[in-house]
Amino acid sequence: MTEVVKPIPSTWCPGCGDFGVMAALKNSLKELKVPTEETVIVGGIGCSGGIHNFLDGYGFHSLHGRLLPTAVGVKLANPKLTVVAVGGDGDGYAIGMGHFIHTLKKNVDITYIVMNNETYGLTKGQPSPTAKVGFHGNIESPFDSVLTALSIPSAGYIARGFSGAPREAAQYVTEALRYNRERRGFAFVEILSPCVTYNDTYQLWRQQVENVEKLPGYDRSQRAKAFASVLEVKERGKIPVGQIFRVADDKGVPALDKTLLPMIERSPTTADISLEHNLTKYQKLVSSFS
Amino acid sequence: MEFFEIEKGKLNTGVGLTIAPRTGHQARPRQAMGSTPAEQVHPPLSTERVGPPVRPREPLNDISLMIGGQGGDGTLTISDLLGRYFHARGLYIYTARAVLSRIRGGHADASTRAHVDPVWSQKASQDVLVAFDEDAVKVGLKELAPGGFVLADQGSVKSEGPNIYHLPLSITAASKAGNGLYKNVVSFGSLSVMLGFDPVVARGVVEKRFGRRGGEALEANLKAFDLGREIVREAGLKTPIFTVAQGNAKDQILISGNQACALGFVVAGGRFFAGYPITPATPIMENLEKFLPQFDGIVRQAEDELAAINMAIGAAYAGARTMTATSGPGLSLMTEGMGHAGTAEVPLVIVDCQRAGPSTGEPTRHEQSDLLFVVFASHGEFPRFVLSPGYASDVFDLTVEATNLAEKWQLPVFIMLDNDESENTQSTAPFDLSKVRVDRGRLTSNEELAKMEVYKRYEFTQDGISRRSVPGMKGGVSQTTGNEHDEWGHVSVNPENRRKMMAKRMNRLELAKKDLPAPHLWGDEKARVGLIGYGSTYGPIREAQRVLKEKGVPTRFFQARTLWPVPREALTTFLESVDVAYVVENNYTGQFGRLIRQELPELAPKLRPVVKFDGLAFRAPDIVHAVRGEP
Ligand SMILES: Cc1ncc(C[n+]2csc(CCOP(=O)(O)OP(=O)(O)O)c2C)c(N)n1
Ligand code: SF4
Ligand SMILES: [Mg+2]
Repeated sequence: MTEVVKPIPSTWCPGCGDFGVMAALKNSLKELKVPTEETVIVGGIGCSGGIHNFLDGYGFHSLHGRLLPTAVGVKLANPKLTVVAVGGDGDGYAIGMGHFIHTLKKNVDITYIVMNNETYGLTKGQPSPTAKVGFHGNIESPFDSVLTALSIPSAGYIARGFSGAPREAAQYVTEALRYNRERRGFAFVEILSPCVTYNDTYQLWRQQVENVEKLPGYDRSQRAKAFASVLEVKERGKIPVGQIFRVADDKGVPALDKTLLPMIERSPTTADISLEHNLTKYQKLVSSFS
Repeated sequence: MEFFEIEKGKLNTGVGLTIAPRTGHQARPRQAMGSTPAEQVHPPLSTERVGPPVRPREPLNDISLMIGGQGGDGTLTISDLLGRYFHARGLYIYTARAVLSRIRGGHADASTRAHVDPVWSQKASQDVLVAFDEDAVKVGLKELAPGGFVLADQGSVKSEGPNIYHLPLSITAASKAGNGLYKNVVSFGSLSVMLGFDPVVARGVVEKRFGRRGGEALEANLKAFDLGREIVREAGLKTPIFTVAQGNAKDQILISGNQACALGFVVAGGRFFAGYPITPATPIMENLEKFLPQFDGIVRQAEDELAAINMAIGAAYAGARTMTATSGPGLSLMTEGMGHAGTAEVPLVIVDCQRAGPSTGEPTRHEQSDLLFVVFASHGEFPRFVLSPGYASDVFDLTVEATNLAEKWQLPVFIMLDNDESENTQSTAPFDLSKVRVDRGRLTSNEELAKMEVYKRYEFTQDGISRRSVPGMKGGVSQTTGNEHDEWGHVSVNPENRRKMMAKRMNRLELAKKDLPAPHLWGDEKARVGLIGYGSTYGPIREAQRVLKEKGVPTRFFQARTLWPVPREALTTFLESVDVAYVVENNYTGQFGRLIRQELPELAPKLRPVVKFDGLAFRAPDIVHAVRGEP
């Protein structure tokens, strides 16, 4: 066996919520027996974004806010890979917001995990787009990623977990990866992961989280009901968590990579690009200009 | 130190074409020529000056026709039919769009030039103007050559003059051909008589163009063509007004730089493209949308250029040969991504179809003003190669080359085109596919990895190039990052590691030199007058060389094809061989000249910048005048 790069010990503060997320992702990849060499973890920039250094598998450290287009590029070039994009709430909902919405719209078979700590951990505690009014002088109302995701018609898998409840969080990540592997489309999982150094919300969040799936008659395949339930839970001062939405098996928008590359074996990275193989077709292209 | 200084209090007044001789460090006043470029080169011709059309005895060896009207007038169809006709007559073609777009929105125009010798640029003046509205006459008349004529649409054009022929083009189309839209083919029919075209060949061109649509459409267009011929005879015009020589160009294809670039990329094994629509780069994406799916490739239109370059980086990292293409504003947005690809050592081809900037600038206008930006863009330092092809087949060749270089040297490679080169079409011999090779450099494989004891993505090697694994390869698991990193790809701020990593990357600028496209040298080997240019200035420079030679001024033209790293050795040899070298470029500050001066300060006194920044490409006389020191 060739010796390759080994995961390094994490650089997170002791007690950081990101540990729970890492444990969840590690377990899910193991449970689904994803081969290390077929795993690609695309990290954003932030404390959260360093996660690929601490895990087995191919790791790509993207630019701040650009992890989603990068991950989309990887997956479209080689649909055989299991691609997980992992970043912070600042990365995803501030500088990368446009890509978040457009990746929901594109619906490529990747899983996107956002470690939401309602702050910019790496730059030392400024308010992020999810920060509450009053946090570090924040006067803007927070943004809710789940509501945004629900409003994008192609969004088919939306969950929110809490790193204080790693077993559930792992379950959502596993479901998300399964959803990708079935070529159903993009899966979005936000995990509340407190920043113990700049915004320690463990106790508060433990009291506030409420699993929508436990609401009487909740049906996670009903988008409108999911939307109403999320709003209703929030109005009660709670944080809705759970597998909030999963499109019914017979519904949903086809995954982009499946549409573009119906046969997983034939892709931009597997194409035979030798001149000999393509010469006749190339000649035809050139002569189409005469 | 400036390449040329502007005399205090004498700010540039927006004069388009400027030569500024530079000797040493003294400030020299810039010699400004004329008042506007159009006026310098093509003096405005009032109708009186044009006079009655003179019938040249000899057929024209070089003709240019301009067609102007409202969008929907079919200006492009006429230009296309003319191109096909001249093509069939063995002439070399150069077609341009939106030559007149100075005038109000909605206006469309196109020009077709045909020449017995190869041409790569627009003619300095027009021999024929087809005008569907008054605007076209107003602007077009200024471009009309002595002896030229205007074919004007009766009813739509009011201007009169001895060289303006009013024919009922749209009226005939509407009343007799069944639809006003046929006025384009009616005009082509009329022109075919006025210019003494071979009627059978001309009719065949219409047949070939509309044949695919079959049946009724073809019938109607052929009828329109015949009607067009009829109305000239009915008007009692003495025809032909003048004629065009026959050429012996054979087996040519007609292609734009953007199309050649798209083709080159596919043939080089390019299989992934991400972009965002922007003039004049969009056609690269549109052509690839047609080509790539036939080869298991993918084209994605991203939500913006930030997404486009990062998607491209993702695909390139995954192992697909990848390109993105953009222009001005998009290039600015891609800047962070360029440095990321550079540090992470991700191979990527970035095409910059330059337009007039900054900001939104002049989206449809011509300029070569991104060079210094492309060479230096990004915070921090990383190696990159900047290539600049001069004509369609050169675009094809250098695109293949760029795609190989990117993977071989694991860095971003830029191809700089410019507006006219991107959009205009020219005749060229079909591309030579036998020369194409696919070189993937140190891309490793499962087999190679299996034999290795240790695999490190950023391993220090002799030439700084490490084996590159891609996801999916067993034994190639690695970390790729834009952070400074150690050999494993783990973040490192160790000063010694930093020094070594910087050298590993930056040394490529020296080591790759032999691998980079060499300049082409054109003209007299013994000439004492040099010309330096890149991109589409190739066309007007080559043409100017012909004229200068006739006037007893032999010249030697250094066509730079690699702009960065600056081809120091080749330039030294060249500059030592001449007394003076005119650096011809479409920008204000003489950007390539500045680079040369920076690299070769001792030879700088020989350089004479010839710049033009009015949104229009050079035409041959501009360069002839500059070299001869004429106003
Ligand atoms: C373009 C750009 N702007 C700003 C930064 C600085 N920066 C680094 S991380 C970060 C925010 C991190 O917050 P978040 O994404 O929530 O991650 P966390 O550290 O909280 O996990 C910022 C602003 C950067 N790296 N790049
Ligand atoms: S600063 Fe906050 S987010 Fe960053 S590692 Fe420490 S606890 Fe975690
Ligand atoms: Mg955060």
